[in-house]
Amino acid sequence: MGNSIAEVSALKKSFGDIDAVNGLSFAIQQGETLGLLGPNGAGKTTVISLLVGLLKPDTGSVSIGNSSCAEAGDPTLTATRRLLGVAPQALSIYETMSAQENLDFFGRLYGLSGKKLRDRVNWCLDFAQLQDRAKSYAGTFSGGMKRRLNIAVALIHEPAILLLDEPTVGVDPQSRNHIFESIEALRERGMTILYTTHYMEEAERLCDRVAIVDHGKLLALSSVNDLIEQYGGASMVTGDLAELPKEIELPGELTGKSIRFASNTPLQDVAALSAQGVAFQTLNIARPNLENVFLTLTGRSLRDG
Amino acid sequence: MNQVLVMAIKDLRLLFRDKLGAFFIIGFPILMGIFFGMVMGGPSSGSDRAKMKIAIVDLDQSTLSAKFISQLADNGSIELIETDLEPAKESVRKGQRLAMLVLTEGFGETAGIFWEKPPTIQIGVDPSRSAESAMLQGMILESIGQLAGQRMGDLSSMQDMVKKSREQLANDKSISSGNRLLINSFFSSLEGMTQSIEALQTDADDSSSSPVENGGFEFAKLESIDVSRKIDPASQAGQMKKIKSKWDISFPQSTMWGVLACAAGFAISIARERTQGTMMRLQIAPISQSSVLIGKAVACFFSVMLVISFMVGLGLLLGMRPGSYPMLALAALCVASCFVGIMMVMSNLGKTEESVNGAGWAINMVMAMFGGAMIPVMFMPQFMKSLSILSPVKWGILAMEGAIWREFSLSEMMLPCGILLGIGIAGIAIGTSLLNRE
Repeated sequence: MGNSIAEVSALKKSFGDIDAVNGLSFAIQQGETLGLLGPNGAGKTTVISLLVGLLKPDTGSVSIGNSSCAEAGDPTLTATRRLLGVAPQALSIYETMSAQENLDFFGRLYGLSGKKLRDRVNWCLDFAQLQDRAKSYAGTFSGGMKRRLNIAVALIHEPAILLLDEPTVGVDPQSRNHIFESIEALRERGMTILYTTHYMEEAERLCDRVAIVDHGKLLALSSVNDLIEQYGGASMVTGDLAELPKEIELPGELTGKSIRFASNTPLQDVAALSAQGVAFQTLNIARPNLENVFLTLTGRSLRDG
Repeated sequence: MNQVLVMAIKDLRLLFRDKLGAFFIIGFPILMGIFFGMVMGGPSSGSDRAKMKIAIVDLDQSTLSAKFISQLADNGSIELIETDLEPAKESVRKGQRLAMLVLTEGFGETAGIFWEKPPTIQIGVDPSRSAESAMLQGMILESIGQLAGQRMGDLSSMQDMVKKSREQLANDKSISSGNRLLINSFFSSLEGMTQSIEALQTDADDSSSSPVENGGFEFAKLESIDVSRKIDPASQAGQMKKIKSKWDISFPQSTMWGVLACAAGFAISIARERTQGTMMRLQIAPISQSSVLIGKAVACFFSVMLVISFMVGLGLLLGMRPGSYPMLALAALCVASCFVGIMMVMSNLGKTEESVNGAGWAINMVMAMFGGAMIPVMFMPQFMKSLSILSPVKWGILAMEGAIWREFSLSEMMLPCGILLGIGIAGIAIGTSLLNRE
């Protein structure tokens, strides 16, 4: 298994005529944050369900853990589940229990007790910034606070792998930012994270590597930069010229005094134009992103779903 | 095991934090119990107790018997209704009257004459109100005493009575000469006394009289009569006779409402866990699927036991006296097991809380209706009685009644308890299988 801590191989899962997961294979390296990026219905949540053993694959296999984990194996094994911490997309917390009681309850289910449990509960409350609301019912929390508690519950037993299924769905920008910071803090601590999302900005910001999935298939898997380099296409340069140049061949189309052109080396191209006396009143260079990658790979926008 | 308990404690905590759910489990059964208790037993205090309703049968039809009835009626604590023998018995049997009194023939001849054989008054009392009958006996003696006082005040009647008694004494050969002399001497003194009183009354023109003390004399012989029909102990009426308190019926009945609410509450909680996603967390936790379900079952079992204990405690405070506590414990265990199974099946009746709630309570209502939680089975028409055997509620009530007032032996308890356990085991097996399949 090498340095990977989880591996899926030729995974297939169908629901009736729909192939939710269709021959997916990938490995999660220890300590990395791997993003599963795809539109709604791409099969991301099904992959999570297969990874945690909630669903059985039609074909293929899932293996959790590595030689450093005594409980490594099939996720349907009770012991293997200790390695996994899951924050499902649906808020999976008891609304008529306080934040502390939720953490305490799930901690006990994972076999924690006594001082160890108390310490972990406190750590999780700190992590979710819910210390001052520790004794309030979760039902009284804002959407962002509930999301944070949902993640904190997944961390109560210090799992080897944290699976976050669309953790920012329905969250206000401030809470979303807080969740990003929390995940970045976990990354710095060396936690292995599988992060599913349909927001390319999140994948770009948080993930070491990104797997692009659509219709249950893995389309590409690499680092963000590699993906963009491979599939993102050229940068887009747009600008308004001070005056229309004469006897200079411009690299793109001109509308009035506005210019727009694609370039793999935008800075060099802009510098060359300036050297020829082209003066820009405004200039914008748009680098390709994962949206472009997805567009290149599928012919559709991520937001088209 | 520890994790099963953690699950069970969590579920009990959640159950009792749902205020409406807690009301249906504890508050509603109490209201039902008290309501049905009042309906079945009638009020037991206030004006009803202030005036004792007595049926009186005057077989003597003499002036003295009429006087006695009038004096008794003057007592503010008694409401008298004169009637015939059979209607009087029927009214006591039906509980319309506390007691019936029969003034036998010859009552007027000897009533209030302490040296004669005392008159017989027959009393038939509603067995459930024996405490009040003691008070009634006191009032009867008081009225007879007043009659004796009036006899003494009526001097001409007394003189006639003495004269008549002298003649009877002369004719009675069984009395020894010593006693005859003694009694004659008494009669002479009595005649002298009545003449002296007559003279005094003439002088003073005073017609008032005082009641004669009844200490040391027997003014009336009170004879109990059985007002009940000969009842087959196995019949419904025979069974009803075993009921010691109105709460004996209403509490098992109302307890079942709490039990039904527990089953529905836990079934809904399983559906809620599914829709909220917490079931997923439980399923991926390092505990077996059966531990998750056993945790739910244990919590449901404890909450049912808690409801039964609470209702029994309240029943005891109100006067319910279970015939056998071990049998009651057995009944409670079987009821709890049965409804854990029903809860497991119920939780699979729908995918959402709403559908499980709707379907669960629909089934609960039917089970309650045919099982006797609304109207006791014994009061149902025959076709409903036949259908009631299909309702676990009927067997639950029967098991508890068997322990509380039906005086069931262990072997008699086996039928309802066996059925309850059977339903419980089948329900747990079916429910677990459905949940696991899901």
